[in-house]
Amino acid sequence: MEDALQQSVLLSSENVTQLFPMPTGNMVTVLDNITMDIRKGEIICLLGPSGCGKSTFLRILAGLMRPTSGKVLARGKEMTGLTPGVGMVFQMFALFPWMTVSENIQSVLVPLQLPRDEVQRRVGTVIKMVGLEGFEEAYPREISGGMKQRVGIARGLAVQPELLFMDEPFSAVDALTAESLRTDLVDIWDEADGQPASIVMVSHDIKEVVYMADRIVVFSANPGRIRTIVQNKLARPRDYRAPEFLAMVDYLHDIITTNELPDTPPAVVTTPAQPVYEPLPPVSSGDVVSFVEYLDSHGGQGDVFVLAHEFGKEFSDLINIVKAAEMLDFIDTPKQRTVLTPLGHRFSDLDTEDQKVIWKQQILTLSIFKTIHADVQASRSGTMLDDEVQDRLAQLLPNENPEFTFATFINWARFGNLLAFDEDSDEVSLQ
Amino acid sequence: MQEPLENQRLKTSPPGARPLRTPAGLPAVWGQSGAVMSFYHSGALADIAITLGILGVFYGITQVGHEWTGILRPTVLIDLSFRSLPRYTFFSLVRGLAAYCISFLFTIVYGYWAAKDRLAEKLLVPILDILQSIPVLGFMPGVVLALVSLFPTSNVGLELAAVLMIFTGQAWNMTFSFYNSLKSVPQYLQEAGTIYHFNWWQRLMQIELPYSAVGLIWNSMMSMAGGWFFLMVTEAFQLGNRDFRLPGIGSYMSVAVEKGNVPAMAAAVVAMVLMIVALDQLLWRPTVVWAQKFRIEDTSQEESMDSWFLDLLHHSHILRWTGAAGSSIGRTLASLASRFVRHAPGDVSGGSPVASTPHEQRLSGHPSAAVVFSRILFFLLAAGLAFALAQVIRLLMSVRISEWLHLLRSDLLTLVRVAVAIALGTLWTLPVGLRIGLSPKLSRIMQPIVQVAASFPAPMLFPAVILLLSLLRVSINFGSVVLMLLGTQWYILFNVIAGAQAIPSDLKEAAASYRVTGRQRFWSLYLPAIFPYLVTGWVTATGGAWNASIVAEIVTFRGETLRAQGIGSVISEAAFGAKFAELAAAILIMALTVVLINRFVWRRLYTVASTQYNLSK
Repeated sequence: MEDALQQSVLLSSENVTQLFPMPTGNMVTVLDNITMDIRKGEIICLLGPSGCGKSTFLRILAGLMRPTSGKVLARGKEMTGLTPGVGMVFQMFALFPWMTVSENIQSVLVPLQLPRDEVQRRVGTVIKMVGLEGFEEAYPREISGGMKQRVGIARGLAVQPELLFMDEPFSAVDALTAESLRTDLVDIWDEADGQPASIVMVSHDIKEVVYMADRIVVFSANPGRIRTIVQNKLARPRDYRAPEFLAMVDYLHDIITTNELPDTPPAVVTTPAQPVYEPLPPVSSGDVVSFVEYLDSHGGQGDVFVLAHEFGKEFSDLINIVKAAEMLDFIDTPKQRTVLTPLGHRFSDLDTEDQKVIWKQQILTLSIFKTIHADVQASRSGTMLDDEVQDRLAQLLPNENPEFTFATFINWARFGNLLAFDEDSDEVSLQ
Repeated sequence: MQEPLENQRLKTSPPGARPLRTPAGLPAVWGQSGAVMSFYHSGALADIAITLGILGVFYGITQVGHEWTGILRPTVLIDLSFRSLPRYTFFSLVRGLAAYCISFLFTIVYGYWAAKDRLAEKLLVPILDILQSIPVLGFMPGVVLALVSLFPTSNVGLELAAVLMIFTGQAWNMTFSFYNSLKSVPQYLQEAGTIYHFNWWQRLMQIELPYSAVGLIWNSMMSMAGGWFFLMVTEAFQLGNRDFRLPGIGSYMSVAVEKGNVPAMAAAVVAMVLMIVALDQLLWRPTVVWAQKFRIEDTSQEESMDSWFLDLLHHSHILRWTGAAGSSIGRTLASLASRFVRHAPGDVSGGSPVASTPHEQRLSGHPSAAVVFSRILFFLLAAGLAFALAQVIRLLMSVRISEWLHLLRSDLLTLVRVAVAIALGTLWTLPVGLRIGLSPKLSRIMQPIVQVAASFPAPMLFPAVILLLSLLRVSINFGSVVLMLLGTQWYILFNVIAGAQAIPSDLKEAAASYRVTGRQRFWSLYLPAIFPYLVTGWVTATGGAWNASIVAEIVTFRGETLRAQGIGSVISEAAFGAKFAELAAAILIMALTVVLINRFVWRRLYTVASTQYNLSK
């Protein structure tokens, strides 16, 4: 049994860790100790919020990048270069704009040094498989995003890979097109006869992975870790509206929200001497205000997943807004629900001028604002250069990108009339 | 002296020299009669034209061969009759094209090396920066003396020298453009190449060259135009006490000016214009239209361009046959080549720009033959450079302090002239360019004209201007500003037009609906909106003005030499006198001025332009 399982493992990672240098010189951990297998004959999806390193992990598996530590094994053999037998589909298609559809497919067959009629045969076959007949001589710019991704898939299939890697393949096309691409892809894979044997797909869309995957690897962010691996044994063809399907979606959804928005704050000893600096979610004050107001006018509470849909935001973006609102004490998040606090309710009813007063008071409860506000006050001229503030932010939040943090910081501080920022002189000053 | 024109590629929108088209969609030149139309469509006309063209080229090659292999006659007698003008024009054209071919090869090799080898890059890019700040005349004495002594008996040396001088006016911005393109190939395209096991050859031919094509072609057009600028000098010059003259349109003009032969001067100007228009219609326009398929953006919003010549070629049977035969030969060769390069061990290319890719692992792990070769070349280059540097320093040591002071004073004078020329140029091109750019109809008519004017070598017009100035009794000290302006104003006009065309219509509508008119509209809408373009224009124009100072501050007219004090005239005299020490010192001072101004003026303005006045943000 154990042996049979070992045999069916095509690719695996062992303790893969990836560090990236920050502009400040610190190293940030993008992937932390990832160990997992890809087995023969499965569709496996890597699911997680943006910034959890799942695309980086895919590139490491493909051999496009070398991990900082840990190894990648193909059929048990350690890999140092490109992983053999891999086709890849890219988020932004990565088609060569100067080649027609069929030239794009041919180009990846050239390195295989196949006889010319074999090349022609393969091109014909994959074009038919993905439904691109009639578009052979079209240039990428002449066809829609969905069609482009069909070319990307055809290109991946043409090399007759054992593994097809897909990096957010449907996130750059509209929802309807994405759905039909998914259906077609699953059909192709069903009939593909082992080429590809397995598909590895990166996605942030829960419904998509429930539709596609046999196994779902749920990542958590900062640093990227495998939170859990979920088996998805729903019968194919799957129906987006079937109760089992929705139950699976809910289940995944619970895993993510409880992970990203824990009910109990991490237990830390807060002493006045050692304030805790929380990273700022990269959202604008405007988004937080609109969200609080939206929640107030829609019953004061809601499910994060449903809200994301209603609010017209990506789930992972909305989670960031929710985090920000929670940091400022405007909402509470028991489980995956969001509930307006009394303060949030009051805030929502005020006009902008008074909202700014509350906002200022709330951001000053965050150590990061308190500290930097005090720094600016203490500076001789009452102003600090933007570089100085960024250095300080990097010092206080060593794992965050100081440039992004600075942007959010200034946005929040401006809205609360706490600090002013003059872009021409690069000066941050007291309001 | 030109800035790298990579940014130019986005800002100078394709100058719309569209051929006049009849409603039937046929070029107007071919008329509208049914017979001609069917003739045209049958491709017979194309075949005749191409056959004639091929015969013409063969005849031309024999003529050029005859001229080049002829025994060395430093000074040919230039025949000022109109009959010989086509031949001279053709010779000049061949020199320009030959120089362009060398520039292209240089660009590919140098740009590729600089982009792919991190160690070499550290040396190659600064060298390129230095090379492009040396005016063409700075290379002249060395190149000419070396080549003439290399071929003491035949014309080849002198011809090569002329070609190389044109090359030095063409190559650098093309190389920068290619290098920048190579460095900015999008990561997803790189990764696609890597994951599908492209070797370096396939990567170059299918990803990197196509990606660079658009920028390279725009810079090629600029380079060709820039190469003509010193045509009169490169074809007819004195070096020490020797007088060199090559048959060509530039020397024709020089002799005509010397003799004060006005009809011949006019004829030379007409011939030059015809050559530029022909090059545009037969070479650049078709290339630009063809290169549209290499655009990376998906938006096909902007008006698509067309070329009657390219259409003509598409109709040709001959080309279709040779094309079919050629492509099958090409395929065979390509597969042979790819087999060969596949076996070429390793590659210098870093693969994807991501840190620690498998390719780079290999690069650092076991040095491949390519890496070893690259290293050897690098050290040879470094050694050569150190030697050259030592020579230059030795030369510079011999320049006395008083001479340095004199050079500085001259430099400041020229700086003032450059500034005045740019200011004057801006003053008239702003209103005119806005008027043209804001009216689609005017743009359509004026852009081809502006384009030809910009490619026309301004020194050929100097005699006319000097005549006018002498009538007005303007001293050359001030007159040279006008001469500089003549060559350099077009860059500003170009960019103002492009900027005006790019003003978003919603901003114009907003201005109109809030009744923002007149001066307020200029200050609050037009000027900010075109500012980034204006800066690009200024940078290019300043480079051009410094270059122009060399021929504008010292001019010979009717046997009389007019000389303005300035660094340009110093360089000119030093070059023609083969006074190497003075030449090196003058060029050093000029280059330093240019670099300092770039750093402290233009770079700051660029930053302002790309943050505060960026309409795409």
